[in-house]
Amino acid sequence: MAGSPVIRVRGLVTRFGPQTVHDGLDLDVERGEVLGVVGGSGTGKSVLLKEILGLIDPAAGRIELLGHDTADLDRAERTALQARTGVLFQNGALFSSMTVAENVMLPLKEHTGLAPGLIAEVARVKIAMAGLPPDAGTKHPAQLSGGMIKRAGLARALALDPDILFLDEPTAGLDPIGAAAFDTLIQGLQRSLGLTVFMVTHDLDSLTSICDRIAVLVDKKIRVGTLAQHLADPHPWIHDYFHGPRGRAALDAKERNQARRHEEEDARRLAKG
Amino acid sequence: MGLTIRRCSATFQACRPNVPVDVRMRAAEPVAATLAKDGTAKDGARIETGPVDGGWRIAAAGRWTLDAAGNASDALDRAPRPPGGAAVRLDLARVEALDTVGAYLLNRLAERLGADGHAVSVIGLRPEHAALFEAVRDAGKAPPHPIEREHHPILDMVVRTGQTTVNAAKEILDLVGFLGLVTVTFARLILRPSRLRLTSVLFHIEQTGLNALPILGLLSFLIGVVLAFQGADQLKRFGAELYVVNLLGISVLREIGILMTAIIVAGRSGSAFTAQIGTMKVNQEVDAIGTMGLDPVELLVVPRALALMITLPLLAFYADVMGLFGGAVMAYATLDITFGQFIRQLHSAVGINTVIAGLIKAPVFALVIAMVGCYEGLKVSGSAESVGIMTTKAVVEGIFLVIVIDAVFSVLFSMLGV
Repeated sequence: MAGSPVIRVRGLVTRFGPQTVHDGLDLDVERGEVLGVVGGSGTGKSVLLKEILGLIDPAAGRIELLGHDTADLDRAERTALQARTGVLFQNGALFSSMTVAENVMLPLKEHTGLAPGLIAEVARVKIAMAGLPPDAGTKHPAQLSGGMIKRAGLARALALDPDILFLDEPTAGLDPIGAAAFDTLIQGLQRSLGLTVFMVTHDLDSLTSICDRIAVLVDKKIRVGTLAQHLADPHPWIHDYFHGPRGRAALDAKERNQARRHEEEDARRLAKG
Repeated sequence: MGLTIRRCSATFQACRPNVPVDVRMRAAEPVAATLAKDGTAKDGARIETGPVDGGWRIAAAGRWTLDAAGNASDALDRAPRPPGGAAVRLDLARVEALDTVGAYLLNRLAERLGADGHAVSVIGLRPEHAALFEAVRDAGKAPPHPIEREHHPILDMVVRTGQTTVNAAKEILDLVGFLGLVTVTFARLILRPSRLRLTSVLFHIEQTGLNALPILGLLSFLIGVVLAFQGADQLKRFGAELYVVNLLGISVLREIGILMTAIIVAGRSGSAFTAQIGTMKVNQEVDAIGTMGLDPVELLVVPRALALMITLPLLAFYADVMGLFGGAVMAYATLDITFGQFIRQLHSAVGINTVIAGLIKAPVFALVIAMVGCYEGLKVSGSAESVGIMTTKAVVEGIFLVIVIDAVFSVLFSMLGV
């Protein structure tokens, strides 16, 4: 889609003591795309996410979110901007003293002036859209399984209909069926809500199935490209990542899926014709 | 979000004369209700209703988003109802922006009209809104939360009282059961002393004993000072200043020294036990211990209980000494009783029995504090929140039991004539 990028990072430098994590990192995320962020352990994927969200201050560089430089925002502008982003943390980060419904209602109560009845109804719809059964709303996070916690976290992240959705390893810890269902859910919501998704993940199946572009953190910088571009990249880490046994398996699965979809389409066309 | 309602019906004008009237007469729509945000028709969510040939038309327009949702919801409620049985066409062609809340409101409208017996058809849905509209419609189909049953305040209170009583009884039973478990484990360890974790015991002796010395010493000293001062004030009236030593000796050695120690240790170490074991429980470390063929009670509870039973009598004796020292300092400062006089008087006032009557309670208190602390720690379930709840509970229960048992000891001693 045309227009200015929703996330623009320029010359980002991150240091923890003597250790430099990012050194002059540039990144553009376009409106409406699903960007997968990968990298080895300790390359600063989650740190990058936290810097974009303003939870950690970078040592140098500029971060623009929806056209605003995050460094020079006053309190009210920052709050307004935060209402336009939704975050699903790695372990859900649901408030354990509240029920799932109360968790989802909290941002609605804080940021909108809707009537309590309408807030409860909207929360119910969000919970259902996240694929949770209706009785999940009255449960506390401790009563939920890992997959349900992720779904509840997603419902809360989507509470305010954000423009950008940040996901930190959304499918980590889920079984393959649950992970695939979660991918489908994110893709469905992304399409129907027109979200921009920034997804930190290690799940090769998610990368190949729902990401439009993939950003790889290597050598303290980031390389963004489509799957095909990364497959042709001679960089040793990127090559090992996408051509390793797991990478191959995920790509094969994608090809099989595509082949099956084509066959189904052909069959449908034949049946029609 | 200043949405105003503009209607052109005469009846509405009559009851709301200050509302500006926006006449939108069309052949097919004699009644039109328009919502506008801040008076500009472009920004807000608008709705127009009216009869069309053989039916009723509801047209939504503008931005149906979270910002306008509150007023849009009110306006939908106030919009004129279609006549009974009329087929309704919900026209969404002029909806400029739609988010989940807007889609939900429109879906709810369609659903309510459907429930009232109208045949509802949605027309003109823009392709970019279709996916969201359908996703929300599917999500909205899920049945609502089960309605919670009606509450009766008095009945609820009775139920709660009963539940609390039963829970308290269960708790006591469990605690006694836990004490039995720990005793059996203790006995096994006496038979096979090589299995005792000596390093762990020493670590907890340092944590609960050595590290408690500064705070316990200071507090006992201050209590001694206060007791001596208050006692001296009263005894001076009778010219019996010297007896302040008797007062201090009996009260500090028999009760205050050990009680202060037990309460401070319950707050300091009992809570620490719960938090330590509880955090291990949350991290599934306790489960891991079990799967490795190790016994959590042997590994976690016995060293702590043993350490506390060794340190608490020592701490209590230290508190006794510090309390008497505080009293002696105060007696010297206000009553001119020298340290020599103080010690001579103390010798005549208290015997070794008094000291033993105080210190004999220490191992019992230690066991109770350690039991409660470890028991509540092992009862932590899943969440980090429950670590906090259980830690608070351990401190409250620990101090409560210490004071109850102290009272039992008092009764016992008076019956035995000690």
